[in-house]
Amino acid sequence: MTSANFDALKAGDTIDGPAFAVSRESIRLFCDASLDYNPLHLDDNYMKGDFGKTNFGGIIMHGMNNFGLISRMLTDWATPAGAIHRRLETRWLKPVKPGDTIRPAGTIKAKQTTAKSRWVLVDVAVQNQRGETVAAGEAMLEFPASAN
Amino acid sequence: MAQAESSAATPFETDFWKDSKLRKMWDDIVPGEPRKTLPYTLTQEAIALYCRAVGETNPLYLDEAAAKAGPHGGLVAPPAIHILLMFACTPADDWMRSPGTVNAGQSWSYNIPARPGDTITLQARALDKFIKRERLFVVHDNVFFNQHGDVICSGRGQTIRPM
Repeated sequence: MTSANFDALKAGDTIDGPAFAVSRESIRLFCDASLDYNPLHLDDNYMKGDFGKTNFGGIIMHGMNNFGLISRMLTDWATPAGAIHRRLETRWLKPVKPGDTIRPAGTIKAKQTTAKSRWVLVDVAVQNQRGETVAAGEAMLEFPASAN
Repeated sequence: MAQAESSAATPFETDFWKDSKLRKMWDDIVPGEPRKTLPYTLTQEAIALYCRAVGETNPLYLDEAAAKAGPHGGLVAPPAIHILLMFACTPADDWMRSPGTVNAGQSWSYNIPARPGDTITLQARALDKFIKRERLFVVHDNVFFNQHGDVICSGRGQTIRPM
């Protein structure tokens, strides 16, 4: 784990994110917080059916819950240094289910100085308790010239 | 932009089956055609609920005094509040609510934070649709604005549509 200091950062440095215990209650709370009441996240009977070639076997967590956790990790890391979370791109690789514990993490990929600012590119991933990557993507953080 | 009357007086319909027949299927979605959207007033309660759901504890989102002394001069919402805004700013017949809609990935860019009390508007459309490995995809793009016309964030996503 490294602190968010632009000059000191180098490729390969890591950012640790928070562990998150997924439960039926956490999924239901995310429904209320996001207003996304898709039966994928609520209705076990519905989820017994097939989705094309996929059968999830029960309710699944919102993909955007991964997104929210990654975003939380990035802002918790960047904000104290005066850096700004500017972009996050993610794709979902595996469903997350009640009983899973997931954790986001980041790895510094590159730094870039532009005409007016300074940027850090971060590879991000969320893993479950089995070490499987359930979400992956890339983030972009801005370190304004006035920041450290 | 297509914008319906504010639904502030109407409670949010949590049964996504209820209006499912009114929603466009993949076949009906025309890339480029604006989606109907609704202005939404973001409250501190909604921000706090979102924070609880993902475990956000940053005082910039939750502690008025601390936020006032912080970089934004007051409370703000976490960047990913667009997760809520996407559903808050669209009507019940929007195809994003079709049961079985599977999110395949998203990318978002952040300009300025949303604040409690902001009236948020959305400009949104399907931008593209395609078929891949027998699955029906739609690409959607979205831009959220505050009441001053400032861009809060913009994003693009892919969903797999129910058959």
